[in-house]
Amino acid sequence: MRWILELIVRYRVIVAVLLASGLSLRLISSPPDLQAKTARFLAFSFFYPLQVTFDQATKAKNIYAENHLLKSEVALLTAQVAQLKDEKIENGRLRRMLDFEERTPLDIIPVSIVARDPSPVLKSVVVNAGTNKGVLAYMPVVGEGGIAGKVVQVMPSLSLVQLIKDPLNRTSILVRRTRAVSILETENGIDYFARFRIHEDVAAGDTIVTSGLGGIYPRGFPAGVVEKISDEGDRLFKKAAIKPGIDIDRLEELFIVRQPPQWAAFRAQLDSLGRKR
Amino acid sequence: MRANIFKWGGIFLLSFVLQTTVVPVIGIAGITPDLLMVALFFLALKNGQMAAVGTGFFLGLAQDLFSAPSILGQNALSKTLSGFFAGFFNERMMRVDFVFQIVLVFVTFMVNDAVYFIVQVIKTDGGGVIHNLVATSVPRALYSMLFALLPYIKERFLPTSFRR
Repeated sequence: MRWILELIVRYRVIVAVLLASGLSLRLISSPPDLQAKTARFLAFSFFYPLQVTFDQATKAKNIYAENHLLKSEVALLTAQVAQLKDEKIENGRLRRMLDFEERTPLDIIPVSIVARDPSPVLKSVVVNAGTNKGVLAYMPVVGEGGIAGKVVQVMPSLSLVQLIKDPLNRTSILVRRTRAVSILETENGIDYFARFRIHEDVAAGDTIVTSGLGGIYPRGFPAGVVEKISDEGDRLFKKAAIKPGIDIDRLEELFIVRQPPQWAAFRAQLDSLGRKR
Repeated sequence: MRANIFKWGGIFLLSFVLQTTVVPVIGIAGITPDLLMVALFFLALKNGQMAAVGTGFFLGLAQDLFSAPSILGQNALSKTLSGFFAGFFNERMMRVDFVFQIVLVFVTFMVNDAVYFIVQVIKTDGGGVIHNLVATSVPRALYSMLFALLPYIKERFLPTSFRR
């Protein structure tokens, strides 16, 4: 017996190799169900610490991949959310436009703004309708809340709209409640006002509508609301600050009213008078 | 002795963690180095056959358990025999120069993969040993050889104060 032990100790490497190889071959040649049982037993008894390390390492690797994936998903979703928000706002605008289109008795052409005046004070915009849609010069342009300006130049598929923000653009208006007539003006494109005679009955909160006298805008179309009245020491006139019915700085969709200027019919006669003179 | 066990335990644990996390990222055309094999090779070189056979067997068994689907015992046998082979060149018994060491890494990989693929062919009746050795093992062994340079770089270029 002793000599066997001595032999094993002497050839321990060979014995170890044979033992390890024998065990491996035994495992390899065992049927699949026995392999599964052995694997389960070994995994839960001897290799548990290794399994924990393996799990942690795999988890760390997965966290890295997951983090990368989540980052790209966040970027994608942020872009989608921004797009959806934009679409929601556009949807609201288009709904209001549609509602306005159905509500108004006027014959209108819905248009979108395709270019803006690059000057610091926005005075005109370009819209995507021209002679191709029957647009004529001096046709009024309105928004859902009130007047916006008038067409001043028409191209085949575009038109230039002079906004009420332009100090050169003046609009004849009247106070809806008292029918006091005046002119809507602005000096800086920010503050709008109208001068009324001192005895006229105009108060803050009064609705201002177009008078129809200029021959461009239809009568009675909303132009804004009187914000405050000030006389500024003037004995003849008082000044009414007016808030326009639409936000001129945030226009995106407008309507061109298919109505040629009322003085167009007299134009030929006026021109002929001029020639005679 | 105890310090040696902890040192090699740490090396194998680090190799294991790197193998499962970093190595898949640095793979080239699906070819990844086998850090555990490289660690086993150096263990055999420094500590001889007995340590390499035992470590190879348990390392292989662990790989069999945690790399499904695999044949239980397949890695255990291949790692045992490759550890046994590499242990022949134990530094205590003979002087192994750097170039020979690198060649040995390659041959150890081939021994390991030859045993592995032979078992696979016998058990599954699929694939060819030679084809697998050429297509998979050679590139993997060559890539792993780069990591076998690390101890040499450490010895050659690291300042003496860094060495233990």
